[in-house]
Amino acid sequence: MMQQLGPSVIAVFLASFSLAAQTPAAKQISFAAEIVGREPKTFAPMVGSWVISREGNRNVLFIDGRVWKRGQPAGGLADKARELYGARNEEFIESIKAFAYYPIAVYKGIDDFQNGEISVRFQMLGGALDRCAGILFNLKPNGDYLTVRYNGTEDNVVLWTFNKGVRKFVNRAPTLVPLELGTWHTLKISIHGTSLKSWLDDKPMHDFTLSEPVSGKIGVWSKTDSMVEFDDFQFTVAK
Amino acid sequence: MRATSVHRALAIGFLSCMVTSAASAQRSGASKSATRPDSRRTVACTVNSSDAWVKRQAVWFDESKHDWSNDSLRTALLAAAGLQAPLKAPVQNGVRVDGQAHTFGPTADALTQDLMKLAATRGSTWPTRSVVGPTGTHAVYLLASRDTALGRAALHRMMEAGPDESPAADVATLEDQLRLGWGRKQLYGTQFEIDASGKVRLKAMEDSSHADLRREGAGLPPFQLGICLAGTSK
Repeated sequence: MMQQLGPSVIAVFLASFSLAAQTPAAKQISFAAEIVGREPKTFAPMVGSWVISREGNRNVLFIDGRVWKRGQPAGGLADKARELYGARNEEFIESIKAFAYYPIAVYKGIDDFQNGEISVRFQMLGGALDRCAGILFNLKPNGDYLTVRYNGTEDNVVLWTFNKGVRKFVNRAPTLVPLELGTWHTLKISIHGTSLKSWLDDKPMHDFTLSEPVSGKIGVWSKTDSMVEFDDFQFTVAK
Repeated sequence: MRATSVHRALAIGFLSCMVTSAASAQRSGASKSATRPDSRRTVACTVNSSDAWVKRQAVWFDESKHDWSNDSLRTALLAAAGLQAPLKAPVQNGVRVDGQAHTFGPTADALTQDLMKLAATRGSTWPTRSVVGPTGTHAVYLLASRDTALGRAALHRMMEAGPDESPAADVATLEDQLRLGWGRKQLYGTQFEIDASGKVRLKAMEDSSHADLRREGAGLPPFQLGICLAGTSK
């Protein structure tokens, strides 16, 4: 049969088989099995009020900025930090308290994301001060992290770094993209070594070189009183 | 108009008309989380002091502690905005109708210029609650709402200061007004106009199905109550 197919067809077949073997499967996090009105089981809310909510016929993860209080971490922070970082949780807690301006929920299913893609769908519903939806990554046991976020009050996508409780601007995507509230959009990042790229609804936003490779937990991020729904959190781990 | 939108709201409110949410027709029928306001409910067109949004404003605008730092600026702001302290809740009912002007004091233009200079000065202290008290912050809102340039600067400063220092209901109402001026749709449903036939109409709005969520966050009355208070025509 091999002779009948010819060498070029075989080459294509082998190449595609090889590609399939190398392409890592995307992991998609669904909230379908979660309980509406409760905190998510797949994510650990560290700051802010994160609850499963019903939107249309789907369960989504909702950051409810109406109950945001300055400097107040999420309930049960100590237990959640212990679950994520075991004996190293105290340093994490101290740092997270300093970050309490920025709600975060950490995905429980991966400890060390280094290379690959992360994407999430989001829908902004409101927020008098901020309307922010972001992807959290490079979260360290000491609470340091990076985030690429869309801000609906500024219409931009920005990379921020948080070190020892201090937020610093890193890079702003050059394109302003006004988005309407109540509409779904997709934020995506790709990390390979120190290369960071981002997209908003498949439009390229960032093409940036980080100061060092990424290594840490991942999740979703928001800011102050934002009211945002998240859905279809996906990631692909590349070697 | 010396009688502010608050008085108008109260006057209309006691007509006690009953309205049903138009948003209910837009919704899919699937209920939201129990933690969210339900815009399908029937709303009485009445402002009660026991309403959560009124109580929240009453707490925010309470001046009994006299805990602000700049009395002279506060006095100047109140005179320019034509306000007398203390204000009675609800101070901001989220109903702003084009053509219904507030009566400002004779120093309003000069103080608007002063606020513009202040906003343009990096690191300057913006007149927030801890600086000029609750009534002083509402005076800033009123002055900002009559001048687009000041409005833009003030909105940024008010948002930056946060809800403890700037009244969220004023921030929301000002943002709606400015967005419409920028050619975008309003978010909270606070801006109305009077059409050629003399009827009050809600101006273009974004995502009205989640309006109550936003309005609750900002300390504004439920959307349908706001519609009713504005006296819109069906």
